[in-house]
Amino acid sequence: MNLWQAFKMAFKSIAMKKTRSFLTMLGIIIGVASVVIMVSVMQGQNEKNMEYWKKMGDNKIDLYAYSWMDMENETGEKIFDYCLSLSDLVVGVTPKAEINSTITIQYGAKTLKSNDWENMDYSSGKDPYLTMLHVYLGSDQFGICNNYTLASGREMSYLEVEKALPVCVLGSGAKEQLFGFTDPVGETITLNGDPFQVVGWYRSFNMGEENYTGSQMDNAVVIPYTFNRTMNNNNTIDQYVVKAKDSLSTVEAMTKLDSFLSGLFPKDENGQSSNGYYQFGSNDSFVEEQEKANLMQSLVMGAIAGISLLVGGIGIMNIMLVTVTERTREIGIRKAIGAERSSIITQFLIEAAVICSIGGLIGIAIGYVGTMIAGKLMEDVFEGIILMPEPFIAVGAFLFSVVLGIIFGMYPAIKASGLQPVVALRAD
Amino acid sequence: MLIDIRNLYKIYNEGKESEVRALDGVSLQIDKGEFVAIVGQSGSGKSTMMNVLGCLDIPTYGEYYLDGNDINSLNDKQLARIRNREIGFIFQGYNLIQELDALENVTLPLIYRGVSVFDREDMAMEALAKVGMDDRAHHRPSEMSGGQQQRVAIARAIATSPPIIMADEPTGALDSRTGRHVIEILRDLYRGGTTILLITHDDGIAATAKRVVRLSDGRIISDKPQEVDWA
Repeated sequence: MNLWQAFKMAFKSIAMKKTRSFLTMLGIIIGVASVVIMVSVMQGQNEKNMEYWKKMGDNKIDLYAYSWMDMENETGEKIFDYCLSLSDLVVGVTPKAEINSTITIQYGAKTLKSNDWENMDYSSGKDPYLTMLHVYLGSDQFGICNNYTLASGREMSYLEVEKALPVCVLGSGAKEQLFGFTDPVGETITLNGDPFQVVGWYRSFNMGEENYTGSQMDNAVVIPYTFNRTMNNNNTIDQYVVKAKDSLSTVEAMTKLDSFLSGLFPKDENGQSSNGYYQFGSNDSFVEEQEKANLMQSLVMGAIAGISLLVGGIGIMNIMLVTVTERTREIGIRKAIGAERSSIITQFLIEAAVICSIGGLIGIAIGYVGTMIAGKLMEDVFEGIILMPEPFIAVGAFLFSVVLGIIFGMYPAIKASGLQPVVALRAD
Repeated sequence: MLIDIRNLYKIYNEGKESEVRALDGVSLQIDKGEFVAIVGQSGSGKSTMMNVLGCLDIPTYGEYYLDGNDINSLNDKQLARIRNREIGFIFQGYNLIQELDALENVTLPLIYRGVSVFDREDMAMEALAKVGMDDRAHHRPSEMSGGQQQRVAIARAIATSPPIIMADEPTGALDSRTGRHVIEILRDLYRGGTTILLITHDDGIAATAKRVVRLSDGRIISDKPQEVDWA
């Protein structure tokens, strides 16, 4: 008997026993579909989380270094120059020094105050900190280092920063508070009476209304750090943000910074440095944390998906065992009229494979549709979430079910076909 | 010698209290072209005898040569080939596959034999015509009477033109008129040179055979030729 014959026999048998075939498929359909849906939902959620963390992190190193010995920001200059020398790892470096004193910001008739802790107005029921402005001293790379994207205009230029020209870039919140919906580029605002020209403004981080980090970044007014002397009482600039090329470069740059800074601030035998202090960290470590959390979640969901596959698998197993046991007599008849064992096994193998494949394909289809539906339902809760079925998982679940179906479809066939025909014939 | 068994035993639960000797040292020789009835009461071992002779079951002890081949030395594949080419079975319960129609049931042994697509339908139809069932080729067993099912089963048995037909109570589930018709078909096959082994408990049916072997408690108690009026 050739393979084509076996195929025809298998299809015939499936078509003749529609209910049985459907029941067998059902286990596979449920197993595959639920795995596809669950994994997609889980991954969509994870990706949403990662997106959030990557906005904040993404190859960014926050650096804090303070020297007790120097009053003229020499340490800051050294660090700044050193970071610039790491040009193969680093794409940008900027001081990120907030001016802590309150600054009066005016545009036309509008007057606002930054860091105005004195007059916090809670009357609206909303946390006033969420709309408080912050003036930062930065370099021309402030935007890129902090993962801003320009909405319009441009960044401050290198020369403007070097020569301490009065320019500024606004965060979206600061822009909205000062200008409403009009384009601020080219307009002039005053900080404590000194005019600064707005050269650009940044898009919002869109991290939700109640997000403090997000609102702090969005409400920024960034001016050249060279204004430290006039605007910030020449306070020591001790905070920097270094933006690395990628996550590998981040790690490498951090290692290099560590050895550089430990050279600047040598430690004695007690682990104390006599001339300063430094500390740095990367939001990448948050990303890492989040990745760990995601992995944990993936494992849990994976376990649930695995269990549902297992349940589906047991369903497959049961129906396969039952049907083949039920067909022992048929196997006996086939043997009596001269079927070789291999012909019978081949026929049952193909039957099981065909049933399971059809079931698996239906399962994948339902899984995809289900994922789309789940995505629509979840859109309300997680804004902008995109659920996409993972083809790898779909194929994996499919293969698992098919292999399971074949194994349990084959096992009784192998057993029954090994019986003496007369024994198989007696079965009922 | 077509069939040659010597000292054949089929023992169930050997050595235990419940030991049953279905065949208890049987020796029998059957030539090509004989019409032999194996007769006995229920439990005499006659069905076991057919199963062993038909390679559907293996003896516990003893030798069995079919057309000179030592059956005990054959593997599963070779036994399948013998069942397919040398022997046609007719069972009391017909043993048709319910999901297949008459033609497909009859075609099945031809498929297992490897007959080409082009020939086997003709061969199956020819076999159905011999038993007068060609007009029911596309009926399923559930749509046929017992006699019709048995005739399809006979067609299946003869489709591969095996030299031996073994029939186990072929008329047992049929009324006497249909039963006679089935016996008539067997006689025709005998006239065509096929060796017939007819297993029955019914002396009336046995009377149609040219040789009668009587079994009791797993042993042959008589074996003699008889005159028949039809041959």
